[in-house]
Amino acid sequence: MESFIATGLIGISLGTQYTLLALGFTLIFGILGVVNFAHGGFYVMGGYVAYYCNVILGLPYPVAVLMAMLSMAALGWLFEAFILERVIEDHQATLMVTMGFYLVMATAILMIFGAESPQFPFPVTGVWRLGGIYFPYANMIVLGACLAAIVFVYWLVYRTNIGRGMRAMSEDLPVASALGMRTKALFPFAFALATGLAGGTGALVTPILALAPHVGDSVLAFSFLTVILGGLGSVTGATCAAFIVGLIEAYAAVYLGGSKGALTLFALVLIILVVRPQGLLGREVRRS
Amino acid sequence: MLRIDDLHVSYGGTRAVAGVSLNVDQGQTVLLIGANGAGKSSLINAVIGLVKMRHGKIIFDGRDIGNLSSDARARLGIGYSPEGRRVFASMSVKDNVLAGAVTLNGRQQAQSWDRLVASFPFLAERQAQAAGELSGGQQQLVAIARAMSGGPKLLLLDEPFLGLAPVWIQQISIAVRQMQNDGITVLMTEQMARPALKLAHSGHIMRSGLIRRSGSVHEIKGAALAEEYL
Ligand SMILES: Nc1ncnc2c1ncn2[C@@H]1O[C@H](COP(=O)(O)OP(=O)(O)OP(=O)(O)O)[C@@H](O)[C@H]1O
Ligand SMILES: [Mg+2]
Repeated sequence: MESFIATGLIGISLGTQYTLLALGFTLIFGILGVVNFAHGGFYVMGGYVAYYCNVILGLPYPVAVLMAMLSMAALGWLFEAFILERVIEDHQATLMVTMGFYLVMATAILMIFGAESPQFPFPVTGVWRLGGIYFPYANMIVLGACLAAIVFVYWLVYRTNIGRGMRAMSEDLPVASALGMRTKALFPFAFALATGLAGGTGALVTPILALAPHVGDSVLAFSFLTVILGGLGSVTGATCAAFIVGLIEAYAAVYLGGSKGALTLFALVLIILVVRPQGLLGREVRRS
Repeated sequence: MLRIDDLHVSYGGTRAVAGVSLNVDQGQTVLLIGANGAGKSSLINAVIGLVKMRHGKIIFDGRDIGNLSSDARARLGIGYSPEGRRVFASMSVKDNVLAGAVTLNGRQQAQSWDRLVASFPFLAERQAQAAGELSGGQQQLVAIARAMSGGPKLLLLDEPFLGLAPVWIQQISIAVRQMQNDGITVLMTEQMARPALKLAHSGHIMRSGLIRRSGSVHEIKGAALAEEYL
C-alpha cells in the first residue's frame, strides 16, 4: 500500500512535468499550426543554463531557474520572430526549421559543455516520510513549482485578454485576425511562453533526473505522445494526458519493471488512438 | 466612411471581383445583393484584409487601408461578422463576444458587455456555454455581438440571414436596427433580398464580380427580388 502511494506521488510529479512540456507544445501547435521539434532542445538548454548559473557562477538555485526560463523564452521569441515566421505558411519547412534548430542547440551544448553529464545536484536533500511513504524534498519542491507554473498557464490562457486571443487564434486564425488579434505579436509570444516553460521545466527537473546533451530526444517524444493522446491543440486534453502518462510510467516502472513502462505507454496510446483518432479531447477536424 | 475604388480580386485564374467601386456614407446601411458566387464575400473580405486585392483602392475614414494587415484594419474601427458565422466553437459565449473587443481595457470591456446584454439578454443567459453548442440563429447573434463589442465605426455583415428561420431573421434585423440607431455604418451582403431590403438605405446588385445596378432601396427593389430567384 505504501509503495503504491509513493509511486502515485512520483507519477503525479512526472505528470506535472509532462503537463508543462505538453502545454507549451500544444499551444504552439494550436496557435501556429507548427509541430515544434525543437521543444526538447529548450528543455535541455534550460537545464544547462541553470547548471551554469547555479554550479559554475554560484548563483542561488531559484535565480538559476528563473534565468533558464527567461533565457529560453527570449531564445524562443527570437527563433519564432526571425526564423520560423519566414516559413510559417509552409508545413514541411516548419518541420525542417524546428528540427534543424534542435540540432543546432544540441550541438552548441555539446561544444560548450562536452558530451559528459555534468554534476548538477538539487540543492535540497533529505526525504520526507510519513509511515512507510518516502518522498524526497527535492521532488516535493519540483512538484510544487510545476503546479504553480501550471496554475499560471491556466490563468493566462483562461483569464486574460492575451489568453482569449490565443484561444481564438487557435480556433480560427483568419477570423481572429479580422477581429484585431495581432498575429505578428501573439505568435512569438505564444512560442516564447512555451519555450520558457520548457526551459524552466528543464532547470527544475534535470537535477533530479539527468542532465546530458541528448535528453531532449525523449522529452520531445514524451511531449509529442502526450499531446497526441490528449488531442492536438487541446489544453485540457494535454493536461489530462500528461497525468495519465506520468502515472502509467511510474506504476509500470515499479510493478512491471523499467523498460516495460514505455512499452505499456505506447501500447495504450496506440489503442486509444485506434478508438479515438482525434485523441482524448481533440477536435474532429482542424483548419488546414 | 468607406470608399472602394475599382476593386479587383482573383483566386488563381478565377476573377471574383472585377472592378467594383462603391461608397458607404457615414451612418448609412448599404446592401450588396447577389446570387451564389457573385463576389460579395470576396469584396467584404478584401475590405477587412482577409483576401488580397489584385488592384484598386480601399479608403476607410479618409485613410488608405489597402496595405494594412487585417488586424490593423480591425483596430481602426471595422467590425466583421463572417459568412457562416464562424464563432469560436469551444469558447464561451462571453469570450466570443469579448474577442471582438481587443482594443478595450478591462473596464471598457465590462461596459461593452453590459450594453450588449441589455440589448440581447440571451447573451447573459448563455454566457458560460460553449458557442458551438448554440443554434444557428444564436450563433449569428453571437457573431454580430462579437463584431460590435469593440465599438466599431463600420460594420461588415456577410450574409447575416444565411440559413436562419424567420424568427431569427427578425431577431437579427432588430440587432441591425439597433446598430443603425447607434449611428454605426453598415455594409452587408445578402442573397435573401426581402428581409435585407427592409434594413438598408441603398443597395447594389452584384453579378459575376461586377455591380449591375445601384440605387436607393426603392429603386432597386424590383431588380433585387428578381435576382433572388436567379
Ligand atoms: N478561396 C477561394 N478560392 C478560389 N475561388 C474562390 C475562393 N473564394 C471564392 N472563390 C470564387 O470566387 C467567386 C466569388 O465568390 P464569393 O464567395 O465572393 O461569392 P459570394 O457572392 O459571396 O457567394 P455566396 O453567396 O455563395 O457567398 C466564385 O466564383 C467562387 O467560386
Ligand atoms: Mg459569400
